[in-house]
Amino acid sequence: MEALLQAVVNGLLAGSLIAVPAVGFTAIFAILRYPSFAIAGYVSVGAFAGWAANTMLGFGAPLAVLVAFAAGAAAGLLCELGALRRLMPAGALTVAIASIAVNLILENILRFFFGNDLRGFDLPIQPDLIIGGIFVGLQQIWNLVLAVAVVAAVFAFLMFTRFGRAMRAVADNPDLARLKGIDPARIAAIAVALGAGLAGAGGVLLGLDTSIDPMTGYRVLLSVFAAAVLGGLGSIPGAVAGALALGIAEELALLVVPATYRTGVGFVAILLILTFRPRGLLGERAA
Amino acid sequence: MTAALIAEGLVAGYGAAEQILKGASVAVQPGEIVTIIGPNGAGKSTLLKAVAGLLKIAEGRVAVAGRDVTAQDAIGRARAGLAFVPQEANVFARLSVAENLSISGFLDPKGSATELEKIYARYPMLAGKRRALARSLSGGQRQILAMAMGLMQQPTMMLLDEPTAGLSPRAAEELFAAVIDLNRAGLPVLMVEQHAVEALRISHRGYVLVAGRNSVEGAGPALAEDPDIRRLFLGG
Repeated sequence: MEALLQAVVNGLLAGSLIAVPAVGFTAIFAILRYPSFAIAGYVSVGAFAGWAANTMLGFGAPLAVLVAFAAGAAAGLLCELGALRRLMPAGALTVAIASIAVNLILENILRFFFGNDLRGFDLPIQPDLIIGGIFVGLQQIWNLVLAVAVVAAVFAFLMFTRFGRAMRAVADNPDLARLKGIDPARIAAIAVALGAGLAGAGGVLLGLDTSIDPMTGYRVLLSVFAAAVLGGLGSIPGAVAGALALGIAEELALLVVPATYRTGVGFVAILLILTFRPRGLLGERAA
Repeated sequence: MTAALIAEGLVAGYGAAEQILKGASVAVQPGEIVTIIGPNGAGKSTLLKAVAGLLKIAEGRVAVAGRDVTAQDAIGRARAGLAFVPQEANVFARLSVAENLSISGFLDPKGSATELEKIYARYPMLAGKRRALARSLSGGQRQILAMAMGLMQQPTMMLLDEPTAGLSPRAAEELFAAVIDLNRAGLPVLMVEQHAVEALRISHRGYVLVAGRNSVEGAGPALAEDPDIRRLFLGG
């Protein structure tokens, strides 16, 4: 029973970290209608930017997350405006494939400057808390708080700001949005900055949890993609729900299968959801 | 007096195929309701889209309140004062009624707060449903919302593409009443309608469009009683 509860807690903690880039992935899909595998590169860029801010400039975790958001957003805008947007007329599949290339390029730029070594954030070592027999790291709780704060900020942006609402309007009905005077190119740029920024912030959260290297983003890409599909591509609450569900499913799976099969859970989840609930857990998939 | 809208000699279509509009013209004077009727495929909706800037025109010109907007895209024409209410998908389905209205005032965020109050006063139904998702509204309610969203743009000219399509006779009647109501408040309206006779009865003037060109034109009620028109649209 305790093992089960521990797995659920671990899953929620891990899922909350995946939720941040998954929301970014789904936000880009909602507006630009292509799955951006470049999100993996943005995750790694953000992770390294946050790491540099932390270890070289002495920034604490919350500030490092902000720096990572800015770095991810900048990388995203650069790649989108410089390359991906030009391929839009060729269709979503072409852009999706190009985004894989963008990921490889970003990954290797990081490798060129930082090498392949694992790097850890400069954090005080903190003891695990034991609550009712469940082990939780204090840093993990902080990461959860940061992840919740980031996702809450995204929701506030989408619900209460002019451009956040405009983004939802474009996701819902781009033609009508244009009639209301909303410039789709501008909203697309905002969506990419937001999505890639979230990926970057997620990179730091993942790095705080373990360590980072140029493959940090690539390693979580499948989980991020699975979480977004699980939640119904383009649905932001769905991506959060999908990430938490996937996190728990991965941890529960570890109770019965060896750890090497962990990533397989993502594939199985995609398969199941596309077969039985193609509009996602919350039934909110963008049409 | 400057016309609220002038569209002259419009030639337009979708892609390389034959043009659907072959030189159609309409004008709307301040304070008028003008209805365009015509058989299916005559280019009525195409004409509205060309006026709204959703469709590139090959020839012709469009002027709003005396200002030439031919070179402007849909956003520029919205800024110039045109509010176009499409026939379908004319609300943001997954946004609430209140959000649909506020986002429609995107171009003028300051002015839209006062506009919103006026709209809730004019349409208490919308005020009562401000938190409901637009997709949960009935067909008639949705159409009222779509029109109210047009009003949020603080337009000088309203374009309605088949506003009563798919509505029950009763809802259609209510919608026409709402159009008259708006027009009495001073807003010129250009609409395309399947319910030709009913629409012409409430219109100051009407145009009959046939095969992309103007055919007959005249006072609305007179066209509504014209035996030729009735034969064309009512089959008797």
